[in-house]
Amino acid sequence: MTRPTTPSPSAHRLSSALLGLVLPLVILAGAAALAWSWKDALPDPVATHWGSDGVDGFSSLAGALAGATGIGAGVVVLLWALSWRAGSATSARRMLNATTTWVAALLAVVLLGSLHLQKGLTDASEVGGIGAVMAAAFAIATVVAAVVYVLTPSGQHAPGAVAVPDDATRLPLGEDERAVWFQRARGGPGIVVGFVAAAATAVSAAATGDWWMLLVTAGLVVLVAAMFSWVVRVDEAGLRVRSAIGVPRTTIPLAQVVLASATTVRCFAEFGGWGWRTARDGRTGILLRSGEALEVTRTDGSVFVVTIDDAETAASLLNTLADRVRPSAPVE
Amino acid sequence: MLFRIDPAASEPLFAQLASQVRLAAARGDLRSGERLPAARDLAESLDLNVHTVLRAYQDLRDEGLIDLRRGRGAVVTDRAEADYAGLRAALAVVAQEARALQLSPETTLALLKETLA
Repeated sequence: MTRPTTPSPSAHRLSSALLGLVLPLVILAGAAALAWSWKDALPDPVATHWGSDGVDGFSSLAGALAGATGIGAGVVVLLWALSWRAGSATSARRMLNATTTWVAALLAVVLLGSLHLQKGLTDASEVGGIGAVMAAAFAIATVVAAVVYVLTPSGQHAPGAVAVPDDATRLPLGEDERAVWFQRARGGPGIVVGFVAAAATAVSAAATGDWWMLLVTAGLVVLVAAMFSWVVRVDEAGLRVRSAIGVPRTTIPLAQVVLASATTVRCFAEFGGWGWRTARDGRTGILLRSGEALEVTRTDGSVFVVTIDDAETAASLLNTLADRVRPSAPVE
Repeated sequence: MLFRIDPAASEPLFAQLASQVRLAAARGDLRSGERLPAARDLAESLDLNVHTVLRAYQDLRDEGLIDLRRGRGAVVTDRAEADYAGLRAALAVVAQEARALQLSPETTLALLKETLA
């Protein structure tokens, strides 16, 4: 039961292409086209880079547009290619689609905002700081990405159609008995990495006086709080994994459970780090530390992993409860 | 940890819950500082009235096994771990002596029950 299961490739390539590729590229192209229409009102060259002491980089308008859209399109295509190969899990596709949109929207707002400030100027070096533009860009990009996250369709399941294999571990449970398994998972190496990164951005914000950088610090602190403390629950609603701050959370209903098993994962080697992640083989998981983990294969072929102590008990209970919702399940 | 209840059993539901926490602490599965599930969550999962769970938690608090704190929920105390360590050690001695005397588990259990009565 320790062999990891490889999920089937994504059956959602159309929605991933529309939300994760076409939409971000349209945002980038639209921003570039709008910026180009402002050509006559803009100085030449335009300011393109701000350091701690104000503007310190200039470029022609065409160069600025090519640079921003080129970088944006490169990142978008790369991330979309990842979702093409892996990520049949709904959460993985949602994150990838939201991320590509976030990158495109951020670049688009920064580009348009910074150019808008330069309208009517003859010398681009007269432009002020762009702290407000950066804050607006983070906010707008996050809202747009959240919408894309919600719009990404969930997986197609054939609930209850597949019986849990007979050789899967079970928990002896009387017909009338009700059971629940609770476990908390917290900490791991990722929390250290996260707080070091947050501290580094705070220090650099203080050193450079770029106050908008503190938004990144705050974002990282929230991310660490959300990613490194979880409550895992197995009961008649299925497997529920909830961050200590309430979101993110996920539920795998019993009808979608094909097989639960205890396994062993290596966070860095298999998933490339810690937190809510997708492995190279397409498994999605919540990774806090290497070692014991609960692995659940779903009816859409996707595989979910959460690193947790006492995974054997959780897997046995999940299989046993999943049997109960199968219409063809033999009565014990 | 695993909680299970059997509505068909004669033991009241709150007592079934409390005895499972006691057993888990005695076995060492529950360590001091560990948090039990929120009463509301446990009641929802087991389809129980929340007062049933709270009654079990209050009994455990009165025994000194858990602390009930506003906002933090039910936390296993230091005392629980220390107290049960002694019991676990004593039980290990009982098991060792019984094996040395080649007493059957049934006989050993009967002796234990008589001692407890």
